[in-house]
Amino acid sequence: MAMDIVDYEIFGNEMQYVEVELDPGEAAIGEAGVMMYMQDGIAMDTLFGDGSQQQSGLFGKLMGAGKRLLTGESLFTTVYHNESSGKRRVAFAAPYPGKIVPVDLSQLGGTLICQKDSFLAAAKGVSLGIAFQKKLGVGLFGGEGFIMQKLEGDGMAFIHAGGTLLEKTLAPGETLRVDTGCVVAFQPSVDFDIQYAGKIKTALFGGEGLFFATLRGPGRIWLQSLPLSRLADRIVMASRMAGGGGKESGSLLGGIGLGSLLGDDE
Amino acid sequence: MSPGEAPLPARFYPAGGDAHGHPARLAWDGGMLLVQPEDSPALRVPASQLRIEPRGFNHSQWAIAWAGEEGATHTHLLIVDDARIAPLRAAAPALFAAGDTTRRHSHRRFRVGIVLLAAIPLAFVGALLLSVEPLAERLVDHIPPGVEQQIGEAVLAHTRAAGPMITEGPAFDALQAIGKRLARPGEVLHFHLAARPELNAFAAPGGIVVVHSALMAGAGSAEEVAGVLAHEIAHVELRHSLRQIVKSAGLRIILTGLSGDYAPLGGWAAQLGELKFSRDAERAADARGLERLKEARIDPMGMLRFFETLAVNTPSGPALLSTHPATAERIDSLKAAIAAAPGAPAQSIGIDWEPVKNDLNGPPGK
Repeated sequence: MAMDIVDYEIFGNEMQYVEVELDPGEAAIGEAGVMMYMQDGIAMDTLFGDGSQQQSGLFGKLMGAGKRLLTGESLFTTVYHNESSGKRRVAFAAPYPGKIVPVDLSQLGGTLICQKDSFLAAAKGVSLGIAFQKKLGVGLFGGEGFIMQKLEGDGMAFIHAGGTLLEKTLAPGETLRVDTGCVVAFQPSVDFDIQYAGKIKTALFGGEGLFFATLRGPGRIWLQSLPLSRLADRIVMASRMAGGGGKESGSLLGGIGLGSLLGDDE
Repeated sequence: MSPGEAPLPARFYPAGGDAHGHPARLAWDGGMLLVQPEDSPALRVPASQLRIEPRGFNHSQWAIAWAGEEGATHTHLLIVDDARIAPLRAAAPALFAAGDTTRRHSHRRFRVGIVLLAAIPLAFVGALLLSVEPLAERLVDHIPPGVEQQIGEAVLAHTRAAGPMITEGPAFDALQAIGKRLARPGEVLHFHLAARPELNAFAAPGGIVVVHSALMAGAGSAEEVAGVLAHEIAHVELRHSLRQIVKSAGLRIILTGLSGDYAPLGGWAAQLGELKFSRDAERAADARGLERLKEARIDPMGMLRFFETLAVNTPSGPALLSTHPATAERIDSLKAAIAAAPGAPAQSIGIDWEPVKNDLNGPPGK
C-alpha cells in the first residue's frame, strides 16, 4: 500500500504542535486525543486498531488493538481524511513539554523502534506495531520496559519526546552510554543494551541508577533530555501535597503560591 | 550478478567512511558477494572473507563484515534486515550457522528468563501459602483466653443472626444437663441449642458448643447426644476451631494483602460456623471425647450408636457427616477403642428422651 505523502510544519519551541497538510484524498492517523484543530473538509473517523491495512476480520483488528493496549496507546486511532477538493490542514499537539520529531520512515529503511507512548501522528499507512524487547536485562533495567513501539512503512511519522531532543548518527561500533529513560527511538540496526554503572558508590550516590543504557551503531538514534517520568517526579516532589512546598509556608507570598516561583528551584 | 536473483537492499558502511552509510544492493555472484552501492563502484568480496553475525534490536538485523584494504583496523560493514536475508542465507548457509545459533540461544535465554521472572512471584505466593499452617499453629498457642472468648462470641453472634435459638424447654434443659455431666470440675462450657433442620453440632473457641435442634430430635437417647457433645468438647479442648479460624484468617490476610483490597477481611468471622477439620483432628477429638465419656461414666455405646445412625439412616448426607469425613472408618476405630478399654461401668444419664423429642418435633419456637 502506497503511503500518503504529507507536508508538515512544526510550530512552537518547547510545547510544540505539528500542522500536517493533506492533499485531496490523503489521510493521516493521529493518536487519540492529540488533535488540536482541523480545517473544513477534513473528515474524522475513529478506527479500532491502527488502520494500517484492511486487517482481516475481527481477530486481526483485536490483535492490532491488543498491541496498542500493550504499548500504552489508546485502543482507537483516529484517521483524518481530506474529503475536500483542495489542500487542508490538521494539527496535532504534543501532550507535554518537549519536541516533536518528524521521521521519514523511507529514509530509515522502513522501520523505527521507539519508546512506547511516543507516537503522535503519521501518514495513513504507517503501521504501529509492538517490538517486544527480548533482552531480559534491558527490559528490566533499560528504562524503556519490555514493550517498545515499532513504526513500519515508508511515510512520515511524528514522534514526541520530552525536553530537548538529540538526534545522532552512530558510526559502526560507536557506543553511547545513555541514562535509562532517555532513549526515544533508534533504527533497528542499533544494539540497545545495558551496562552496569561499575561502582556501587556511583550506583548508589551518583544519581544515575545501577545501569546505563548503551546504544551501539551503526544507525540513527534520538534521545530526550527530560523523560516525562522525571519531570513528573520533580513536580510531585515540589508540590505542596508531598510536603515539598513546606519551605514557603512561612513566607508572606506562600499563601498565593508565588513563593514557589521565586524560591526553591530544585 | 547472476540472473534471476533479486538484489537485496542493504546499508553499506565502508571502512573509514562516514557514520551515515550508503544504500546498497547485494547479490551472490559465484562464491563472491556482489556489493552494489548506489553512489560508488561495485565491490566483490570472496565468501571466505565474510563474517556474518546477528545484530541490532532483538537481533533483527545481520551484520556482514570484512576487512578493509588499508589494514585490519578498519572493516567494511553491511547491515541487512532479517526479513530480507533469505536469498543470501539460502546461497551460503554455512556462513549463517554460527549467527543462527547465537540468535536461537539469545531467544531461548529470554524465554527461560521470562518464565523464571513469572515463577518468582508464584513461588513467593506458594511459600506464603505453605507457611500459613505452621504460623497458625504457633499463633494459636499464644492467643490469650480472653481473645479466644471474643472470637467464640463472634461465632455465636453469627449463629444467632442466622436463625432462632432455643433457650428454654425440655430440650434445652436436657442439653444443659448432659453438658453439666460431661464438664470436668472447674471447666467453663457453654451449650447452645439452635433451631435448625440440619443434623449438626459444632464447637467454637471459648468453650462454646452449638447443637442443632434436629440433632437432638434425631438422637435416640441422652447418651447419643452426650457422645456428640463429648466429641465437640474435645474440639474445644484441643483448640481445633481456633486453629482453623487462625488458618483461614491467615490465608485471607495474605490474599487480601495481595489484592490490596482489605474490605473482605471484615467478613471472615461470618463464615466460621462452617469450619471443617482435618481427619486427624476428628480422630483426635473422637479419642478425647471417648475419654471424657468414660470419665463421666456415660455409656460410650451411645456415641457409637449415633454415628451408626448417621451413617446408615441418612442417605441424603447430613451436615454432620459432610463436615466429619470417613464415618465408617471412625466407627471402626471407636469400636476398637471401646473394646480395648471398657472403663468403669456406665451410669445412665437418666433423661427421659421422649418428651425432649416431642418438644423439638412440636411447633417451632417452643
